[in-house]
Amino acid sequence: MMTRWVRYTLPAAAIMSIASPAYAMQYLSIDEAQKQAFPSATRFTEVQAGRVWKAEAGGRVAGFFIFDRVVGKHLYIDYAVALTPNGAVHSVEILQYRESYGGEIRSPSWLAQFVGKTSGSSLKINSDIRNIAGATLSSTHVTEGVQRVLAAYGNRLR
Amino acid sequence: MATVSDRVRRARPLLGTFVEIEVAGAARSEMDAAINSAFEAVAAVHRLMSFHEPESDISRLNQEAWLRPVRVHTWTFQVLEAAVAMHRRSKGIFDIAVAPALQTVGLLPRLSGDSPDVTEVRTLDAIELLPGQAVRFRHPAVRIDVGGIAKGFAVDRALQALRGFGVASGLVNAGGDLAVFGQEPQTIHIRHPSDPRRLICNIEVTDEALASTARRFDLFQSAASTGSAIIDPHTRKPAHTIDGATVRASSCMVADALTKTVMIAGTDAIELLEHCNASALLISTDGDVQITPDWHHAVYLAA
Repeated sequence: MMTRWVRYTLPAAAIMSIASPAYAMQYLSIDEAQKQAFPSATRFTEVQAGRVWKAEAGGRVAGFFIFDRVVGKHLYIDYAVALTPNGAVHSVEILQYRESYGGEIRSPSWLAQFVGKTSGSSLKINSDIRNIAGATLSSTHVTEGVQRVLAAYGNRLR
Repeated sequence: MATVSDRVRRARPLLGTFVEIEVAGAARSEMDAAINSAFEAVAAVHRLMSFHEPESDISRLNQEAWLRPVRVHTWTFQVLEAAVAMHRRSKGIFDIAVAPALQTVGLLPRLSGDSPDVTEVRTLDAIELLPGQAVRFRHPAVRIDVGGIAKGFAVDRALQALRGFGVASGLVNAGGDLAVFGQEPQTIHIRHPSDPRRLICNIEVTDEALASTARRFDLFQSAASTGSAIIDPHTRKPAHTIDGATVRASSCMVADALTKTVMIAGTDAIELLEHCNASALLISTDGDVQITPDWHHAVYLAA
């Protein structure tokens, strides 16, 4: 029978900090996400450079793959929307996720270090931290991004 | 033995948050199939139990269950049964009928026909669970929101889906509600509830679930915590004494529901935790950390 809670009083300074004010997770590359969204596709043709691909399976259009990015105050998220040939959402997958509290997220140089396959980033990211709990992150910005992608491409790609 | 290369982790926006799923120790095609199946389970729970989707079971109940019994999916019925049991067990603290209070503070939208000022207490006594997975409300103003338990249930269903494949280990994390299986313990970092840059502690979990909740903060708006999304059913106001709570249990649904109760009841929740074979860590407004005595061996606080 447990009866008593064990109480710890932590001086503020003793609370362990993330080694840097950033946290990041790489899930899938664009290539991997394309194969994931359209496993039967035999060919991906770039329709708009670095942004839109047409997936084809045996000469038939299997759908479209759109890469996009949302930037919030502290979050920076790469994601991909797969559309059916009719322009409906087939799947949404997060490719890369970053949080930063240093206020640099909107600076072009900070963003630039994640474009493409740039390695040797000057930003220190603690890769030991893989699982974080304690607060629910809202996916609202990604949901809004998907709506924008649909509005921009849903009826235009054929 | 799993190595970094035979591990796959993916994330999708579901349940209003980011759902991460990781598996290890199998061929890539098997791991992909396992993750796809697990995401499907989460998406199914989302479709069935969202307060916002007009076609969900929950929306149909909120619109029609006062007029006639409404038949729901097995999963929705299971969640409602668990919610009713938790309501009784927590002496009314856990309450899925607080939707009107969440509407009042702007955390849930109003539905057409909703009264603008619903202040009376609506308990789960107003919800009847009938044979044949049917549900009836005993009062026209009942509005339920299973947001405080369905996310944990979705994590459990996703983990069960992963177990159906030949993968050695798996992890499902739906914005802080998570569950793992496999031989190796997984390390989970718990954020400071009012400062997401800082970590309070690490917790090792093996074949169990962990749910965390904090007074609400929105990374897009402000790093500071704002009002809580936890409503005390007795006062109908957001809860305030505890800043954050993490609960360990064998099922994520139970852990999820218990975090809400612990946020309101604080240390008084110890009997309920014990009954559910659960452990908890509370972060008080004054910065103190309190842990149930069965659990401090697995919690690594900052030295």
